[in-house]
Amino acid sequence: MPKILVVDDEEHIRLLYSEELKEAGYEVITAENGNRLLERIEEEKPALIILDIKMVDYNGLDILQDIRNRFYDLPVILSTAYDTFKEDMKSIAADFYVVKSFDLTELKKKIATALETSLPS
Amino acid sequence: MAFYEENPGGITRADMVLAIPTFNEVEGIGRTTMQAAKGLAEHFGNLQSVIVNCDNHSTDGTREAFFSTPSEMPKIYISTSPEQQGKGNNLRNLFEKVRELEARIVVVLEADTRNVAPSWIRKLGEPILKGSGYVCPLYVRHKYEATLTSSLVYPLMRCLYGRRVRQPNVGDFGFKGDLVEAFLKSSVWTDSVQHFGVDVWMTTIALNARLPICQSLIGAPKVHRMKDPYAHLPVLFPQVISTIFELMMVYSDFWRQVKWSKPTLLFGTDTHEVETPVPAEVNVALLHDYFLQGFDKYHGMWQDVYDQTVCPKLEEIRGLGLQHFSFPTQTWAKILFDMAKAYAQAEESKRAILLDSLLPLYLGKVLSFVKKTERMSIQQAEEYVENECTTFEETKPYLLKVWE
Repeated sequence: MPKILVVDDEEHIRLLYSEELKEAGYEVITAENGNRLLERIEEEKPALIILDIKMVDYNGLDILQDIRNRFYDLPVILSTAYDTFKEDMKSIAADFYVVKSFDLTELKKKIATALETSLPS
Repeated sequence: MAFYEENPGGITRADMVLAIPTFNEVEGIGRTTMQAAKGLAEHFGNLQSVIVNCDNHSTDGTREAFFSTPSEMPKIYISTSPEQQGKGNNLRNLFEKVRELEARIVVVLEADTRNVAPSWIRKLGEPILKGSGYVCPLYVRHKYEATLTSSLVYPLMRCLYGRRVRQPNVGDFGFKGDLVEAFLKSSVWTDSVQHFGVDVWMTTIALNARLPICQSLIGAPKVHRMKDPYAHLPVLFPQVISTIFELMMVYSDFWRQVKWSKPTLLFGTDTHEVETPVPAEVNVALLHDYFLQGFDKYHGMWQDVYDQTVCPKLEEIRGLGLQHFSFPTQTWAKILFDMAKAYAQAEESKRAILLDSLLPLYLGKVLSFVKKTERMSIQQAEEYVENECTTFEETKPYLLKVWE
């Protein structure tokens, strides 16, 4: 069962994603901000991260750079309320992005694709 | 292979090599050498560096201009023999020199870039120090600049090798010194690679070496000497495309395993000021004419090469006229996949005509891109390109089928 780490400072989003993704067959762990996130990733070894861009005191795009620099091929899906983040070139280090919604169809599709992606090692 | 070498400082070892390939670049070599020296001193002052001008036996005084540029960095000049033309041959000389110097970091800069700055050297070199194997720059580009990359090279390379390298054939890059072994060992060393194909050849080898790839945000456009991009196309196009197709044959075991794609590392995210590129003009009527002329010249060949669904689709596209012109990306992807297969199966003497027959279709695809994105911002057009890449990736099973 692939493990997904949801990083979001909004509790209702963490709950929504957890419930729906567990139902879809994933193991889900959560974090409410970027504090000690890299260590957490090291310990928990998630197969994929869903990362909020705008968190109180944390910029998801900066966290994304840290993740990419340390875990080159770890899939990261950016989750955001607005799509203006695309103006920031840092966002291209993400595998995908989704606009937050109560309908998680798009997110689940992106998760499946990201986990299916394969490159010879 | 070097025909001629001048190494006045007697340099036998270096940590870092800054290379400038040239052919008759007396106008630009001085400025580029000066900026390179500044960049090395400012950002890599703790390393032993050398600037290498790898030349094509220029007759305009490039060598003299290189040596007379004031710089505290040591310099080496190497040249091919007069009959050995092409940037690829310059770079091959460079690879051998890098091996000899046992350099760890190599940065290559084109000599005719008018706005090269010392920070570019940091952006191409520092990621290597931090563990990347190969660095491609990300220049700010207008949506109609470098359409060969946007419409063909980027989507095709991405769906083949699974990395999202947006400007894989740009001419400036950084790489770790060890990579020269892979370059020198490559079995593909065609006439095209020796000329304009060398940039995409290097990136492909780096992708297949399974090294971490980095893209570096330059924050500026690359300002060249004024060039008409379409004037060089009949030469550039077959050289770049044949190089991609040749390497597809060599690396089929790799790319057949690739599914979807992944991002690269990113460097230069601290670049605060981003310049606006100068708009690139496109003559849509001329592109349409070139596309239509293709039917008269190559229709028979297209019927032989492409899947049975393609030619009726092309007829349909022709019937749309200029005003409603649209070239579906899935058709374009199938065309490239079929052509890659036909190229691989064709006798060597037939390959050039195959590539010629692809050119009008490429121009049709560019026309379609221009029409779809004419009201879009640069960023929106970029998203359009990303969506085209997704279509290529979705169509890849077709390539796997025809390649068998």
